[in-house]
Amino acid sequence: MDDVTSAPLLTLDGVSVDFGGLHALHDVSFSVQPGEIVGLIGPNGAGKTTAFNVICGFVRPTNGHVRFPRSQRHNLRPSQLAAAGVARTLQGVGLFPHCSVLENVMAGGHRRAGGTFFDGLVSTPRGIRSERQLRRDALAMLERLGVADVAARLPGAIPYGVAKKVSLARALMSEPELLLLDEPASGLDEAELGQFAGLIMSLRAQMGILLVEHDMEFVMPLVDRLVVLNFGEVIATGTPDEVRHHEQVVAAYLGVET
Amino acid sequence: MRQRVLVSSVVGVALVIAALDATFGVPTTRLRVALALLGALGVAALGGLSVARTRRDHPLVTRVLVTVVVVVIALVATARLSSNVDTDVAIGAAMTIVLLGLSFLTGSSGQISLGNGAFMGVGAFTVAIWANHHATSPLILVLVLAVAAGAAVGFLLGLPATRLRGPYLAGMTLAFAVAFGAVLNVFGSWTGGDSGLQLPNAENAPRWLVHLYPASTASLSVNSVWLAALSVVSAGVALLLMANLFASRFGRAMRLVRDNDVAAELVGISLPRARVVAFVVSAAYAALGGALWTVVNNAVTPSTYGLALSITILSLVVIGGIGTIPGAIIGGLIYAFANSLIGWITTHTGLNPQGNVASQLNGIIFGVLLVATIVFAPMGISGALRRLWAHRSR
Repeated sequence: MDDVTSAPLLTLDGVSVDFGGLHALHDVSFSVQPGEIVGLIGPNGAGKTTAFNVICGFVRPTNGHVRFPRSQRHNLRPSQLAAAGVARTLQGVGLFPHCSVLENVMAGGHRRAGGTFFDGLVSTPRGIRSERQLRRDALAMLERLGVADVAARLPGAIPYGVAKKVSLARALMSEPELLLLDEPASGLDEAELGQFAGLIMSLRAQMGILLVEHDMEFVMPLVDRLVVLNFGEVIATGTPDEVRHHEQVVAAYLGVET
Repeated sequence: MRQRVLVSSVVGVALVIAALDATFGVPTTRLRVALALLGALGVAALGGLSVARTRRDHPLVTRVLVTVVVVVIALVATARLSSNVDTDVAIGAAMTIVLLGLSFLTGSSGQISLGNGAFMGVGAFTVAIWANHHATSPLILVLVLAVAAGAAVGFLLGLPATRLRGPYLAGMTLAFAVAFGAVLNVFGSWTGGDSGLQLPNAENAPRWLVHLYPASTASLSVNSVWLAALSVVSAGVALLLMANLFASRFGRAMRLVRDNDVAAELVGISLPRARVVAFVVSAAYAALGGALWTVVNNAVTPSTYGLALSITILSLVVIGGIGTIPGAIIGGLIYAFANSLIGWITTHTGLNPQGNVASQLNGIIFGVLLVATIVFAPMGISGALRRLWAHRSR
């Protein structure tokens, strides 16, 4: 596990976040390996969303480091994530409401599209070529997720489950090594849940995945490892089976549900 | 689809030429020949472009086509209309450039600016100051200098703007608009203080254009045709470049930032950078418009570039349609012909043109238009037209 090629994609190293006097996260450490699906769970207010925001650079850690060992960078700003091979979906769908579905997915490949400002201004062949390639790739991605038929529609005019797939398509367009999914199951019906679980499983060959989720039935069979947060601290890590029988977890979280 | 665009644009150009012909009559045979040549050139350009089309998803052809059609129509019109109208067209075409710039900033990237009148002033005074020190510089160089000066000021103002949103940004650009006049006064030895500057040499029509007009015509009208053509062609270039930008990844980045800045950052767009770029483009466009005004008026006064102008620009963008290219053209037309409209109203209603009501008519018309737009067509006139079009073709 220590040699460079199998270095983790993401490591949180004693990360703490204070909002004024409130300790949103305290000394949180965990990592995500390539090809691994890790679930971040915990009751409401446990710090899951803060953890995601600190990973993405929307919130700066008060202490500790968020490291991306594969690209040898740490504490990145949000706009630097894509270049470091990290993509994230947002809670809900988080699409661009006034851009077509196709444009939304093309946006995901923004880093990849070539062409300088000048290429755009005078419409050089290079700029046109790269835009056309991006359009083709975006359509192919929509087809891969089975939602190419809504390419020309606006995000507000398509069903919620389809919109979630579009937002996944947008995240995948940057060809990430690490995919962060913020509540991928919320708002989906039974059939869509199954489809989404299958989709996520199919991605693990190409990338590591970290997901925040409430729906235990969705998470348990899907993930390799769980990280359980409560009051901003990691109270347990391990396989779903280990966590399920962990005393503190049962008391803090699962106990409420069963 | 493209065939239809081509045919309808050719028919459109022909109709406009015919209508102008019928309305104003043809002064000379030579002018008729020139017009026919111009028309033929336009049609040939359209034809050539349609043959050169490579792929269906090649919107550059469409963009060039539309630009050429608009420019040809405007050029033909200026060659036929009276010199007063020519000046209106020149002023309006320059205003279209300014509106394109603000449309990019406000409509595309979602930032508001009350400083674009002052950006125009930067361009206008750059031309005047340069011309007073280097009287023989070619016009194109002077215009490029004005654009560069505008871009530089836009960059400086864009830096603090990256940290401000909504009303705070409006406040900062407002402060710039108000301070601009004071700054001009401080450097009065350069800018001419309150009275402004006169250009040492008026921009004259080139000889070939003078030859097209009969000797009996006053040379003044040839010059106004030339100035209008200059302005219209500049607007055409500005329009094409803006259309390209809208269609490129930079235009998309601006729309993404406006729509959802969090998601825009996550796909790798740096918000500060996008905002500065938007300010630079907007200021450069405004400066070009102001520079053309100086060339057309042959002079510049600081009072022109006060806060009122910035507010007029913003209103015109809203009336025309924020973030759209047709909206900028509509706004430019309204600005160009507002005075003619007021003249028409005063002569037909018997209002005293020097009276109180008539002198306020400009403000009244703008106010009514603005309120009507916001109430009945929130997406501006271009948005309303598009909805009408979509409705009819369904």
